Order: sequence, then C-alpha cells, then structure tokens
Amino acid sequence: MKDFIKRLYIIAWMGLAVLFMYIIWNVTFNHIIEEYATRQQATEIKQTREELKHKQEKSTFQKVILESEETVKLYLGYRVLEEKRIAGHFHHIDFSIGPDKRSYCITCHGDMPHDNLKEIRAFLNMHSFFINCQTCHVKLEKAKTRLTYKWYDRTTGDLVDSPVMEAAPGMYKAKIIPLEIVNGKYQRLDAKEKIEFANEYREREQTLTEAQKSRAKKLIHKRVSPQPHICEDCHQRENPLLPLRTLGYPEQRIDIILSTEVVGMIKKYTEFYMPRMLHPGERTKK
Amino acid sequence: MLSPSIRNLAISCAIFSLLIFVIPEDSHSADIGNCLLCHKYPGLSRVDEKGNLRLLYINEKTFNSSVHSRVKCEDCHTDIKKIPHDTAKKVDCLTECHITEPSTEKKFSHKEVQEYLDKSVHSIYDKKGGLKEYPEDMPTCKKCHDNPLFRPLSFFKGTRYGISEDSMSRCRVCHKKEEFIVKFYNHVTGRLHRIRNPQNIAETCARCHDNPDLVSKYGLSTKAVFSYGETFHGKAAKYLDERIPDCLDCHVNKGESVHQMLGHNDPRSSTYKKNKGKICSNVDCHPKASPKLAAYGMHAEFSLEQSPVQYFYTAFFIVLTGGTLLPLMGIIFLDLIRRLFPDAVIRRRKK
Repeated sequence: MKDFIKRLYIIAWMGLAVLFMYIIWNVTFNHIIEEYATRQQATEIKQTREELKHKQEKSTFQKVILESEETVKLYLGYRVLEEKRIAGHFHHIDFSIGPDKRSYCITCHGDMPHDNLKEIRAFLNMHSFFINCQTCHVKLEKAKTRLTYKWYDRTTGDLVDSPVMEAAPGMYKAKIIPLEIVNGKYQRLDAKEKIEFANEYREREQTLTEAQKSRAKKLIHKRVSPQPHICEDCHQRENPLLPLRTLGYPEQRIDIILSTEVVGMIKKYTEFYMPRMLHPGERTKK
Repeated sequence: MLSPSIRNLAISCAIFSLLIFVIPEDSHSADIGNCLLCHKYPGLSRVDEKGNLRLLYINEKTFNSSVHSRVKCEDCHTDIKKIPHDTAKKVDCLTECHITEPSTEKKFSHKEVQEYLDKSVHSIYDKKGGLKEYPEDMPTCKKCHDNPLFRPLSFFKGTRYGISEDSMSRCRVCHKKEEFIVKFYNHVTGRLHRIRNPQNIAETCARCHDNPDLVSKYGLSTKAVFSYGETFHGKAAKYLDERIPDCLDCHVNKGESVHQMLGHNDPRSSTYKKNKGKICSNVDCHPKASPKLAAYGMHAEFSLEQSPVQYFYTAFFIVLTGGTLLPLMGIIFLDLIRRLFPDAVIRRRKK
C-alpha cells in the first residue's frame, strides 16, 4: 500500500512537470511561432477583405447589419454595447436581429429592394423589414379565397405567435406573410419547391438563352401582381388590408398606425412625392 | 373678439395639447418634431447613389443615454423644415445648436474643437497653411466619434447610463426637479472621466494608425495600437482596466484638449524628445520615475526590421527562459521516471 501511494505521488509530480513544460513552451517558443503566424494571417485577412470590398457591387442590409463580422464593443461600465459597425455612421444601432432566411425574393432582389423611388424608398424598405414582399406584391383580386396573414420566424420560416407585444415597434424577429388555406392547412405562396426553382435559375442564369430566362422569370413572378398594394390599403380605418388585431397589435398601436397623423403624412406624400407607379394609368392619360 | 393675450394663451394651450397627444409617451423631450414616428423602425434604410447602406434608424433608448440626448434632431439636421422631408444633408458638427453656454451665454457649437484640430497634427492644413497632400486621410469628426454614450463613474456601481442612485440621492436633497438633476449629474460625471474606455480609445486610433495602407503611405515606424497592445499598458487595457494610460494620456499635453495633439517633432508636443520624460513621471502615473523611463521604446514591435535592439533583447530572453526551464523540466521528468521504475534498464550490462 505504501509503495502504491509513493508511485501515485511520483506520477502526480510527473503530471505537474509535463504541465509546466506545456506552459513554458506556450509562453516562450510557441509565443514566437504564434506571433509570426498571427502577423501573416492578419495581412492575409486584410487583403481578402479589401478584395471582397472591391468585388461587392452594393451593400445590403443583411450583409452590413445582420451578418456583418465587423462589430464594435463599447465598454460602458454598466453594460457592453456590441453592435455592427458602419463606417461614418454616427448614431448607435444597438439591435440584433437575424437575417430573413426564408424568403423567396431577397436572394435576387436584396433586402433593401426599394431603391428607385427616391422619396419613399426608405419607407418601403422599413416596411419590408417586418412585412414579407408578397404581402404587398401579391393581390388575389380574382381569386375566390382570401389570403390570411400570419407571422413567420425570420430564421426558421415557421409560423409563430405575434411578436408585437414583446419587442419595440418594427424590431421583430418575425415577418408578416400572406397564406392561402389549401385542404384546411395554411400554405405559403412561396413553397420550398418554388424557392429551389428560383435558386436553380440563379445558378444557371448565365447558361440560359434569353427566351429561357424570360420564361423562367415569368414562372417565378407568376403570383406577383403588376400593381402592388399601396400605403392607403393598410393605413385606413375602413377595411384595412392587414387584420392588425388578429396579428397581435394592441389597440393603442392600431390607433397610431391608422391615426390621422400617419394617414395625413401618406397623403402629403401622395400630393408631393407619390410616384406614378402607384397610380396606374395616370401617365398614359397625360 | 379675443384679446391678444388670451388668444396667445389659447394657441399655446392648443400646441401643448397637440404635442402631448402626438408625441409618444416614452419619447424623449429632444424629439419635439416626433421624428421617431418613422425613425424608430430599424428597417428604415436605403442604398445611396454610391451603393452604400444608409441606415436612418435611431435607437431611442441608446440615443437618450448619449451626450446629445438634449439636442433636438433639427438642431443638427438643420435643413429639415417639414415632414415628410427631402433627403437630409450631411450634418455639420460646427452648427450652433440651441444650447447656450452658461459662462458666456453664447450659443453652443463645436467650432473651437475645429480650431484646435486645425492646429494639430491631424489638421488637413500643413504648417504654411496650405492643404496637405492627402487631406482625405486626416480625421474628421465622424471618423473618430460616434454618438458618445454616458458611462457611470467607475467607483459607483452603475446599473444604467451615468447614474448612481447613491449620489443622486444627495442631489435630491437640494434640487427638486428630477429632469434637472439627471441632466446635470450626467453632464458633470460624464466629464470626470473619459467618455470612452481605454480599449475603445485605442481601437478608434487603430482605424488609421494600424491601417497597413496608411502606415506604409506615411512611412510610420510602427502600427501604433498593435505595439501598444504588446505592452503592459495595452494588455491591461484589453482587460478593461480604466486606470491604465491610453493613447491620449501620452500624446496630449496635460490639461489640453485631445484635439490639440501635436506631432513628435513639434517642441510643444508631449512626445517631443525633451518633453517625453514628463509623460511617465506625471502625478497620475509614476511620480517618482526617472525621466529615463520614457526613453523606453513604447511602440517597439517584436520585429527585426522595426526595432532590432528590442527584437534581439526579447528573443534572447525568450530563448533563455525556454532553453533553461524546458530542459530542467525534462530532467525532473526523467528523474521521476527513474524513481518510478528504479530497476528499469534499456540494455542490461554483460556480466
């Protein structure tokens, strides 16, 4: 027994000696090796980033805000504010919302798709942050069934409960989407097969003829209405498009959304800025 | 017919009532124009003509904990006169805002900061008053500053921006208006220490001073923040030590604005050869230190090209430490093996 304890004691010291060797190696020779490797790596990363920057045609909300690796940590003492960094941006962002990974349209059109109409592009992009594209761009005027509107999780695509009461306005990890009821079940207008078709088209676009491209685009945009819903379709008290109460909006928020203030502002936009695109036929009349 | 005074009163009441009903309950007083009606939405964004993201979102909670929380939106965005508004112009930080500086009763502006900056090493002008060769490389307000946020004083246990209930309770003894107390408490305590942590200050400087393009363009001898990070001070800063000297402690003369930073060749600069001794031995750091302490190559990198003396010196000690201790541990390990197996032999001797 005494011999066994003695052997155990020696083994413990051997373990300790190995541990010390490991530590000494790390703080001496390995430190030099790592230092050299880090320098090399840093230069490579910098070069790769610069190359990517040049290649990138234009920024998207997803790339810059939601998936960007360039973060900054502000040590405020009482909390650490970690946010994405936009060069030259003065105001703090301070929010963390995952990208919409279950969207039919974003892959091609980006997550800030409205950039032609100078006056209202930011407003439209603001809405597309929590409203799926199809909500405005699909109208079933001739269809017998009426669309139902639900919230879906931006990351998983699953239908979820209303996030309205749990987060600040617009700061939701979910989006509103129109659904059809088929055989008693809710069904998205953009089924997984359609998304796969669109992705395949994107991959093979370069190899297709113009006629094939045109046909594919028509198929992808089959459900898209030529004229989207306009602001007043929702921002009005009589029969608004979105069932705000069913979507979990409290009365106070509904009042604000449908208030004379918001509606009045839209009217001002209509008077001064509303593009002709939203008033079909006007241009041809003139 | 109403008299002018009654009519004015009625108009004031109407405007006041309108503001009460129109402005959301949680809105801060700076948002008199109710800009957050739209700008509170995180998706309010667009791509500008150059293809860059323009995020127009304002995080109200974070903004209200910033030094500009009392400044109205239109005080900076002066071109916005109506809602809905056109594309806003770039903010000019030198604009006079509504705040009145109490000692002179003049409207507040950052003009003096610009004057300091124009005389500093970061000025876009050279010594003769002409534009430097690459003025675009010199820092502008927003290259270094985002909206500064209040931080609680380190000797109080802060749970929210710049506020210690312990000290607030003392303010409340004499001052009765809560808004006044919070405003002045933040104003005063925010200036009793740096608005940014040493690590954050170093990161800000690193955007230019560790940028390989700029370092090579200007022939700088070191990546300043990287080499700072290699020192004892830099390592402590990484552990968020608030007392450790950051870039500004050494590169700005005591009592002067950080915007007055001068180049090391300027005799007025704190880092000028003859003045360097005072940096380490100032009362806040090492008051008994010899001036020779500052002769140490603070920004020496472990690089043969940049600082050969430090390189060989450091390499010698690394090799000495590793070369001594590793064999020592090896011998101890072998000795322990012998103790564990006292009779073990690889080859038996021939009898």
